[in-house]
Amino acid sequence: MRIRALSFVVIALLCAGTAGAQQRRITGTVAAREGGAPLTSASVTVQGTTTGAYTGTDGKFSVMAPATTVSLRVRRIGYQARTIVVTTSQNDVTVALERDVLQLEAQVVTGTSTAVASENAANAVTVIAAEALTRVAAPTIDNAMQGKIAGAIVSQNSGAPGGGTQVQLRGVSSILGAYSPLYVVDGVIVNNSTIQSGLNVITNASRAGSAGNFSSSQDQSVNRIADLNPNDIESIQVLKGPSASSIYGSKGTNGVIIITTKQGTIGRPTVDFTQRVGHASLANKLGSRCFQSATEYGDWANVNLGQSKTAAAAEWTAAPTKCHDYEEEYYANDDLSYETVASLRGGTQAGTNYFVSGLVHHDNGLAPNDYYNKQALRLNVTQSFGPRFTVGANSEILHSLTQRGISGNDNTGITPGDIFSNTPSFYDLQRNADGTFPRNGSGLLPGSNPFQNADLVKTPNNTYRFIGSLTSKLSLYKTSRNSVDANFTGGIDSYSSKDRLISPATGYTEAAAFGANAGTLFNSDAALLNANINGSIVHRLAMKKFSAQTSAGFRQERRESMVTQLTGKGVIFPTVTSLASAAQTFPDQTIGLSRDFALFAQEEFFALDERLLVTAGVNTEKSSGNGDQGKFYTYPKVSASYRLPFLPSFVSEFKARAAFGRAGNLPTAGRTTFLTNLLYEGFTGTRASTIKGSPTIQPEQATEIEGGFDATALDSRVRLSATWYKKQITDLLLQAPIVPSLGFTTQYLNGGQITNRGTEIELDLTPLRRGSLIWVSNTTFAKQTGFVDDLPEGIAPFNPGVGSFSPRYGNAWIQEGASTTVIQSTVGCTGGVPASGTCAAANRILGLAGDANPDFNMGFSNQIDIGPVRLTGLLEWRKGGDVVNLTNNYFDSSNLAADTLASAKRLAEFNAAQHPYVENAGFVKLREITVGYEIPERLIRTMFRGRAESLRLELSGRNLKTWTKYTGMDPEVSNFGNQPLGRFQDVTPYPPSRLFFFSVISSF
Amino acid sequence: MRKHLISLTAGIALAAGCVDNTIVSPENAPTVDALSGALTTAGVQTLAIGVLAADRALVRGDLTYLTLTAIYARDAYRIDPNEPRYVSETLGGQPDPGSFAGGGGWTNGFVAIRAANSLLDALPGALESQVSPQQKAVTAGLVQTIKALDYYRVLELRDTIGVPIQTAKLDEVTPLSCKKNVLDYIAAVLDSGLTSLTAAGTTQLPFVPPTGFTAFGRNYRTPANLILLNRGLKGKVDVYRGLQHSSPTAGAFTAAITELTQALGGALPGAVPASSFQNGAYVTFVPTGTEGAANPLADSRVGLNPKAQAALQTGDTRSSKIVTRSSLAGQGLSTTLTYVGTPVNTANQTRPVGILRDEELVLLRAQAYIEANQLANATADLNSVHTAYGLTAYPVFADQASARTALLYEKRYSLFFEGPQRLVDLRAYGLLKAGSTLAELASDPYNTAFPIPKAEADARGGTSNLTVSCK
Repeated sequence: MRIRALSFVVIALLCAGTAGAQQRRITGTVAAREGGAPLTSASVTVQGTTTGAYTGTDGKFSVMAPATTVSLRVRRIGYQARTIVVTTSQNDVTVALERDVLQLEAQVVTGTSTAVASENAANAVTVIAAEALTRVAAPTIDNAMQGKIAGAIVSQNSGAPGGGTQVQLRGVSSILGAYSPLYVVDGVIVNNSTIQSGLNVITNASRAGSAGNFSSSQDQSVNRIADLNPNDIESIQVLKGPSASSIYGSKGTNGVIIITTKQGTIGRPTVDFTQRVGHASLANKLGSRCFQSATEYGDWANVNLGQSKTAAAAEWTAAPTKCHDYEEEYYANDDLSYETVASLRGGTQAGTNYFVSGLVHHDNGLAPNDYYNKQALRLNVTQSFGPRFTVGANSEILHSLTQRGISGNDNTGITPGDIFSNTPSFYDLQRNADGTFPRNGSGLLPGSNPFQNADLVKTPNNTYRFIGSLTSKLSLYKTSRNSVDANFTGGIDSYSSKDRLISPATGYTEAAAFGANAGTLFNSDAALLNANINGSIVHRLAMKKFSAQTSAGFRQERRESMVTQLTGKGVIFPTVTSLASAAQTFPDQTIGLSRDFALFAQEEFFALDERLLVTAGVNTEKSSGNGDQGKFYTYPKVSASYRLPFLPSFVSEFKARAAFGRAGNLPTAGRTTFLTNLLYEGFTGTRASTIKGSPTIQPEQATEIEGGFDATALDSRVRLSATWYKKQITDLLLQAPIVPSLGFTTQYLNGGQITNRGTEIELDLTPLRRGSLIWVSNTTFAKQTGFVDDLPEGIAPFNPGVGSFSPRYGNAWIQEGASTTVIQSTVGCTGGVPASGTCAAANRILGLAGDANPDFNMGFSNQIDIGPVRLTGLLEWRKGGDVVNLTNNYFDSSNLAADTLASAKRLAEFNAAQHPYVENAGFVKLREITVGYEIPERLIRTMFRGRAESLRLELSGRNLKTWTKYTGMDPEVSNFGNQPLGRFQDVTPYPPSRLFFFSVISSF
Repeated sequence: MRKHLISLTAGIALAAGCVDNTIVSPENAPTVDALSGALTTAGVQTLAIGVLAADRALVRGDLTYLTLTAIYARDAYRIDPNEPRYVSETLGGQPDPGSFAGGGGWTNGFVAIRAANSLLDALPGALESQVSPQQKAVTAGLVQTIKALDYYRVLELRDTIGVPIQTAKLDEVTPLSCKKNVLDYIAAVLDSGLTSLTAAGTTQLPFVPPTGFTAFGRNYRTPANLILLNRGLKGKVDVYRGLQHSSPTAGAFTAAITELTQALGGALPGAVPASSFQNGAYVTFVPTGTEGAANPLADSRVGLNPKAQAALQTGDTRSSKIVTRSSLAGQGLSTTLTYVGTPVNTANQTRPVGILRDEELVLLRAQAYIEANQLANATADLNSVHTAYGLTAYPVFADQASARTALLYEKRYSLFFEGPQRLVDLRAYGLLKAGSTLAELASDPYNTAFPIPKAEADARGGTSNLTVSCK
């Protein structure tokens, strides 16, 4: 494989033509059309050669060119590129560049060290620039991406502080395998795992039954991409499907999100300083039943608690407050949130560029004592040694301390939502004057007081993370026609995430749930390391008629993890938090190690005056996760794009593109048969597990065909992009029945097929552009469907497992011919519903009752600049998509819902084997809105004595309003956190918050 | 030229710099690969206990091995208003291969057999410094005996319907074998177990077996006693090889007599004292804690078929095995009696179940004598049991038929609710059919054996692939 890559280089060199004819020097200046300010770091290339230069601080450049008429291509980020024809008589030119308001001029990644201009890109790659990302402060990167990527469904799991969001690109691509997109930061593949926080030890959500009752998927934990600092990001590129992500081989099925952080720029050092102060408030609440009279309550207590009506009525009469609004009382953390971002950026003529940034972020959670604190420090340095060698080092240290409180499913009566749905609202639960907490007097959940739990129970997560990379670029050989570069990147992502849970025995819920064993401690220590290196050689050949970029290289990755957990039960003394004091301790540990190695080669061929781009590439990879650890799996890709030459006058660009690619998904399990432990008279016995691994387990194969066009018209004021794709995933990792007389019950195998089809349309407009008034509008539309085409013979339709409680409420279901995201539930009663209204268990009919996939997703983003005033807004419309609202069932079962009539109707339908809890969760959300004012230059000069460059004041809001028919707290919800399927369960989640921020953004 | 050389060397240097080893052994949990590695004494212990635990899972699983077989044998009823299939698929109709009533006692058996096969495969490779050749031999002897026992248990449930014989390969599916072949295979495994045990000399097992193998009158840690268990089981198998009316094995009964006598320590007919009847190997139960393995007969929904008490002779002290209970009625059946081991209490949840105890060996030998027409010897052995329970001795039986009647009576009540022995005997003597046995319900189908579970048929590609091969 390596020899082949080398021969590419050799052949290309041999094909190199003769060196140039006579040369001349062309100089010039590049400036912005508006205002005439000189532009630094603009690239000027001589077309048809490999020669080029960058402009300096004064906007001036100097470049060698043949002594004929040449075309210079001038490019700069944020501005539209131009081609200038320079005749033989001209030797000095002035180039004026137009602002690129529609973001047309990005560079699109096509390989680990290759990129093409987006005008040539053959894939639909979404590029999000820094300003769009951090227009409104977002606590985590995934929050910041909501509503900005066509074809992506970015959903928050709950309103708890600190993150917990899932990004799903182009539908469900795996049933049992990995489902997260790959995140790459400056060439380092970073870890996006979720380390479970251990909440299960006090909530007993998963009823694990094991003595230690360890963490489960219902711990409401955060996927760790949340650690990153969104303010450091220069741009995000989203490779949405295998036709683009084929370069990442068997990690590319779910798409790749490539993050590039800010680098230094040549020129005088600039300091950016932003201070934000904000406030979060409860965005939605459910309310609970307000008893209007003593008799009403007496009747309720008689039916639900078996109490005597008169005694209960007297209790109600004696209560000082008849109806508490528990949610308002509880989710009332009024403290301010703040964020301080500072960065220093500059570059010297000696070739050193640097970027230093810092972040201090504090978010308040709505529940008492909940918070999200994050600090980050980054240093990016690039040093050029002459024109041939550049070395860059990017490093970031991150720290986050989060307390997310208790929410989600539970079976011990500890989650606030559970308590509220079981407590008649006249009980006073807030702290007494003497500092103690009242016992919850309700017969349904005796004792449980969420205010006391919030005060006593601590759930801190402390994470330290380091992400660092080293990049080097060496120019091996350079002539006017050829250049050969060697690139090398190596980096690590290492983090240590510690979770602690302290639930003292003095808590009423703790005492009631665990009796003699009250007092719970939990410690989780997770240490993860991702390390990867990649190297490539890139050869660029520039001929008159065509140019080609050939690259070949290797990539190696290593992932290590060790998660050690300890539970202690029966901790008698509430101030002691060491596990050594626990009456019983339960340990557990999970270790993982995997290694991958890949070789790749790619050819990018430009012809027809840089109108045609044809790319062909292949990536071959082996991994320790496969059954055969030494076998290479190959992922090819082919794509082409053509910028049409003959266009009507009002259309400036029209590019048709088509791409084909294959990527894979590493098997997360299935290569080995494990041994299980059994007990016999207390002694441990071991035998093979009844789940048989397969020595031939291989990655899932995802093949995608994508086609579309990008058009720019009306003097670059309109950009329309449309894409259609079909993604077929075969060799899915599945569990199938096996012949039981072999001694097993199930086996892992690859089989089956899923097909996802979709359409993505993006329309970027500049409807108004007059003087200092600019209105830019971006609209995205995406529609996607996925079907299970085939399941291997012998596999009956099944529930994929995690993420469901019972078909009576609704669960995920995999069935041949049905949508991948279909929800199965009870759909009727055989023989009709009897007079009692309750359908017997044996008579319930199961069927397909809904689909979690939305009909379509639209994003509306608008930015209006009127002189110094800027208004921006982002609205997201998700139509359709069902959620199972189990929280309603809590209220219905206790008959304490605010709307008693609707609640009774739901309960009747539930008993009659219908599915009232499968609800349409379509919504329109006003995600971001800002009003900003740029303080005039004159004022700044007097205020800061000429040292400041700009000062802007902004008022912004996040998640301000949601319009939805969904009756739960937030249509974006997932009790089980990030899941491929089974995302749609709503069980007493942390409510969503509405954030307001006032920011001062300055630049010096 | 120099430029080319630079780039070439750079390229080679780059390419050669990569380390590309992607071989990783699982570090998180042990896998079956650990079995082919070098086993230590501790490893042998956990694997052997795993085999025994898997055998217990077969005895407990799906209530099939003890409860459903007792219902088929018309000794018990299980009446559960939440689960009518305990009557409708046993005494009231055919068992459904897709439900617990038809599908139980299969997968657990083969999981136990796989555990035994895996250990037998791994034993030769155990570290010499940890496990001596004699220790390997005695362990192999135990495991082979248990493996044979587990095949026999599956056969007790499926009878002529067919039982596949597992190979060492984890994914090789074999056709269903006919009863004769399975019995021959079991006999062969027991004989190779004997060879191993003999080769072990006096070296005992390199680990302490569960109390079921040490606390009941005999310590089965020694090869000498394991040989007794092995021969006892072989004798039992030979009796039924002889009773295979379609293709009886010649000389089976004579072989059985020899083997059972060896298992009884050489005791002469009628010379086994009642005090030693409880000696043997047992499956023990631990209902509490993480183990949570209770005796499945401790079940409030199980009752005694009243006909089982009616057939008891007056004065038979085995009547102490029957106690009264609250009325259990439904689906056309009713009873106010039950087996002493069914009320749910700690004693019953921990009540051990015999694998093969001396009382059964005596009765099996009597059975062999009867079938070999040595009625005097048969009478002696039968009387050693009969008189131990307060009854007067039988006179020597005049014919095999009357001897068989007495034998069936003794076996029924001596081994009451201790396993499928009664069902096996009713089948072997053709007594489970209309005319020989009273119908329990109008729709009584006289079920004799359990079907092949639906999961097995489905995984093999359909019931058409379930033909029994007798090659």
